[in-house]
Amino acid sequence: MSEIMNVELLIALPFIGAFLVAFLPATGSRLLSLLVTLATLSVAGNIFATFDGTNSADFTLNIPWMNDLGVNLHLAVDGLNLYLLLLTTLIFAVVLVCSWTTAACRRPLFLTLLLFLEAGLVGTFLSQNLILFFIFWEAVLIPMFIMILVFGGAKSKSAAFTFFLYTLAGSVLLLAAIILLGVVSWQQTGVWSFEYNDILNLQLNWEMQLFVFTAIVLACAIKCPLFPLHSWLPLAYSESPAAGTAIMAGALSKMGAFALIKLAVPLCPQVAVFAAPWLLVWAVISILYGAIMALRQTDIKLLVAYSSLSHMGYIVLGVFSFYETALHGALFQTFSHGLAVGGLFLLLGLLEQRLGDDYKNVTALSTAAPRFAVLLLLFILTSIALPLTSGFTGEFMILLGAFQKAFALWQGQAGATSLVAVLFACSGIVLGAGYMLRFARKILYGKSRQEMILPDLGLRETLVFVPLLFLILWVGIAPAGYMAKVQPAVTFVAERVDSTPASIDLSLATVLHGDANGR
Amino acid sequence: MAADLFYGLLPEHFLLALLVVLMFIEIIGRGGRAAGILFTIVMISGCAVLLNQLGQNYSAMIVADEIVIDHFALVARLVVFACGIVYGVSCLGNNEKPKFWILLTSSLLGASIVFVSSGFISLFLGIELLSLPAFALIVHRAGNTNATEAALKYLLLSAVASAMILFGISMTYGNVGTLVIRDFAGSLSSDNLLSVVAAILILCGFFLKAAVFPFHGWAPDAYSGARLQVTTMLSSIVKGAVVLALVRVFGASPLNDHLVGMVAIFGIASILYGNLSAMSQTQFKRLLAYSSIAHAGYMVFALVDNTGHRTEDVLYYVAIYALTTIVACSCFAILDPGDNDDLDALNGAFAKRPLPAVLMALSLLSLAGIPPLPGFLGKLMIFKSVIASGYQWPAVLAFAGSFVGVTFYLGMVARIFKPQTEQAVAGNLTRSSWVLGGTLLGVFLLVLLAVFPGLVFI
Repeated sequence: MSEIMNVELLIALPFIGAFLVAFLPATGSRLLSLLVTLATLSVAGNIFATFDGTNSADFTLNIPWMNDLGVNLHLAVDGLNLYLLLLTTLIFAVVLVCSWTTAACRRPLFLTLLLFLEAGLVGTFLSQNLILFFIFWEAVLIPMFIMILVFGGAKSKSAAFTFFLYTLAGSVLLLAAIILLGVVSWQQTGVWSFEYNDILNLQLNWEMQLFVFTAIVLACAIKCPLFPLHSWLPLAYSESPAAGTAIMAGALSKMGAFALIKLAVPLCPQVAVFAAPWLLVWAVISILYGAIMALRQTDIKLLVAYSSLSHMGYIVLGVFSFYETALHGALFQTFSHGLAVGGLFLLLGLLEQRLGDDYKNVTALSTAAPRFAVLLLLFILTSIALPLTSGFTGEFMILLGAFQKAFALWQGQAGATSLVAVLFACSGIVLGAGYMLRFARKILYGKSRQEMILPDLGLRETLVFVPLLFLILWVGIAPAGYMAKVQPAVTFVAERVDSTPASIDLSLATVLHGDANGR
Repeated sequence: MAADLFYGLLPEHFLLALLVVLMFIEIIGRGGRAAGILFTIVMISGCAVLLNQLGQNYSAMIVADEIVIDHFALVARLVVFACGIVYGVSCLGNNEKPKFWILLTSSLLGASIVFVSSGFISLFLGIELLSLPAFALIVHRAGNTNATEAALKYLLLSAVASAMILFGISMTYGNVGTLVIRDFAGSLSSDNLLSVVAAILILCGFFLKAAVFPFHGWAPDAYSGARLQVTTMLSSIVKGAVVLALVRVFGASPLNDHLVGMVAIFGIASILYGNLSAMSQTQFKRLLAYSSIAHAGYMVFALVDNTGHRTEDVLYYVAIYALTTIVACSCFAILDPGDNDDLDALNGAFAKRPLPAVLMALSLLSLAGIPPLPGFLGKLMIFKSVIASGYQWPAVLAFAGSFVGVTFYLGMVARIFKPQTEQAVAGNLTRSSWVLGGTLLGVFLLVLLAVFPGLVFI
C-alpha cells in the first residue's frame, strides 16, 4: 500500500507536530498546526476512502513494546473506529480554523495541547491492545485538563478538577478490569497478553465478566456521560473555551461510546445480554433527563450541553439493542452527533468571540447575520434528526433496532419494561425538537436590538463548516456506502452477542482484523 | 578470582578512589567545583562499567556467601549510579564544598555494597554506610536549628532501626546457623516462629529507614529541615537504595502468609496516609516527604507478589521514582530561586519559565501515575503482579489510595498553569542552567526507561 496510508501517521503527525509547535518560534506555529491537522485529516480521509471492511490488515501497525507482558504498540483501523477517525481529524481541523483569530490560538501552548489531544484521541480509537488503549484513553485527560485550566472561564479551576477527577475515577476501575483480563490470560494460556484479539478468545466466567463489564460500563458512562454520572459535564462544557467544548462534545465523549461497542459488548457478551434491558432503561432515562434539563435552560451553551447528554443516550440505546440495525445506528449517531454538536459549539464560540458574555442574550440573528443563522439552523436541524440529515439516519436506526429488541424481549416473556422505555425514548425526539426549535426561535428571530453590532461570518468561517454539513447530508441521503464499510465489524459484534463464547472460533474473532478468510 | 575482585567490584573501587581524592581536595581546601566534576565523571564511568558487565551477562561470587555479583546487583547499582549522574550534574552549579561530595560518595558506596552483598554482615555495613552520611548532609550548611533537630531525629530513629535489623539478624543466626541471606529467605516459607519474628524485626527496621507508615515519623521533619538538594537525595537515592536492600533480603522467595499480611497492611496504610496527609501541605519539602511515604508504600506493596516478578517490579519502580523525584526537585529549585520552599513559588510558573514548569508538571503527573508517563508504567508493573498473585482487595485499596494522591499532584499542576500575577523574578542563571541540564538528562533517562522497559526487565 502507498506510503500515505500508514496508520501510524495519524498519531505521529499530531504528536511530532505538537513538539515542533512547542519548541519552534511562535510566529509560524498557527500555520504549522493547521498544516499538521490538515495532513492528518487527509491521511484519515484516504484511509476512509480505501477501507472496505475487510482490508484492515493493510492498516495495521504492530510493534512489540513490553514483550513479556504482551503489551504491544498495536494500531489498526477496523470498522468500529473508521467513522471516529474521520470525525476526530475533521473536528480538529475545523476547530483550529474556527479559533484562528482568538488570542488563545496565538499561544503555542494552546496549539500544542490541541495537537496532543488529537494524537491521544486518535490513538484511543486505533489501539488494539488494552494497555495501549488505556494509556491513550488517560493521556487525553492531561491536555484537556490544562486547556480548561488555562483557557477556560472564571470557574475554570473547579471545572478542570471536576472533569479530571471524575473521569479518572472511572478510569481506575477500567484499569483494574484490564489488568484482571491480562491476569486471566496469564492463567489460561500461561502468557501475559493484553492484545484485544487474545483477550477475545479467553473463557471468562460469569463473575469475571460481571466485574469487567461493570467497570467498563461505569468508565464509559462517566465519559459519555450518562445520567446520573454527568455532573462534571455542565461545568466543564460551559467553562472550557469554545474549541475545548467542541472537542469534548464532538470527539472526547465518543470515547465512551466507542469503548462500549469495542470492549464492553464483545468482551463480556453473556453479561451484556443479561444487563441489556437495564441498560436500555438507563439510556432512556438519560435521554429524557438530558432533554428535560435542556428544556429548562436559559443559557444556550448549557442547553446544547444537555442536548448532547440526551443524544449520547441514544448511542448507548443502540449499542445495547444488539441488532445490526441499531449498531449501525449507534455508529452513525457517534459520527453525526460529533459533527452536529461540534458545529453547534463552534458557532456558539464564534458568537461569543464577537459579543463577549452578551452572546447569551442574542436575538434576531437571521437579520443581523444571515449566514450565521443559516448554518446554525442547519446544525440544529441535524440535531433534531430531520430526515435527510445524518441525525435522522442514526436515531431512526437506533430506535428501530431498539424497538425490535424490546419487542423481542416482550414476546419472550421478559417483561415490558424495555418496550415502555423504548417508547419513551421516541418521545426524546419530540422533546429534542421542542428545546432545539425554541432555542432556534429565540436566537434567530425576535426583536432585533439596535445596540448589538454583529458582523456576519466571513468567508473562512463559512467555508470551514461546509465539510461538516457535506458529511451530514451525505450520511443522511446515502448511508449505504458507509454501512458497507463497517458491516463486518457490526456483524462481528452482533454475532459475538448471539453466540456463547465457547462457540466463537478464531476466524470470527479475526474478521475485525481482516484476515484472509474474513467476510 | 583476583580478576573478579578487581573487575566485578570496579564501580566500588572507583568510588573508593574518588573518596581518597576528594579527601585530598578537602585538605587543600578548595576546588569544590572540581570535586563535583570528578564525582560526575566517576558516576559516568561506573555506569559504563556496569553496562559493559550487563552486556557480558557477567556474574561472579567474589567472597563466598558474602559478596556476589548477579543480575540484580548489576541493575540495582546501575539505577543508583544513573541517579548519581543526574543528581551530580544538577548539583554542579551549587558551589558545594568538597565535604558534600565526600558524604554523597560514601552514601553511594554504601548503597552499592548493599546491592552486592549476599550475607548479612556486608549488608548491614552497607546500610549503615548508606544512612550515616545522610545525617551529616542534613546538617551540613543548613544554617538553621531545624536541620539539627531533623538530623538528630533521623539519627536516633535510624539507630533504632539498625538495632532492630541487628536483632533480627542475630535471631536468624540462632535459627539457621548462618548469616547468608539465601538461607534466611529459605527459612521464611516455613512457619517457624523464630524465623517469622526475625523477618518481622528486619522488615520493621527497613520500614523505619524507608519511612513506611507507621514508622514514618521522622521523615517530614528531616525532609523539611534539610536543604532542597539534600532532601532530593534523601527521597530519591537513599530511599530507593533502602527499598532495594529490602528486596535484596526478601526478593528471593515468596513470603509466608503472616508476612504478606503485614506487608500489605503497612503498604496500603502508607499509601493512604501519605497521600491523604500530602493534600494539606503548603511546603514543597514536606509535601515531598508525604508523597515519598506513599511511594514507599507502593514499593513495599510489591513484596506481596508471589509470581516471582517482585525484584524486577521494584527495580523498575525505584528507577522511575528516583529519577522522577530528582527531576521534580530540580525543577522546583529552578522555579523557586529564593529557596522559600513555599508552594506559592509555583504559581504562574509556566509564564515565567515554561520549560522547567512543564517538566515539573509532567514529573508530578508521573509521580501521580497518570498515563502515558513513566510513573504509570511503574505502578502498572506492581499492580499486575499483585493482582496476578490473587490479592484483589489490597490492590483495590491501593488504587483508591493513588486516586487520592492524584488530587494534590493536580493541585500543584494547577498552580503551575495559573495566569501570572507578579513580575518575573530572574533566578540565579548559572545555577539553574546546571540544574536544567541535570533535569533534561533525567528526563532523557526516564523516556528511555518508558520506551524500553526491557532495560530493567530481562
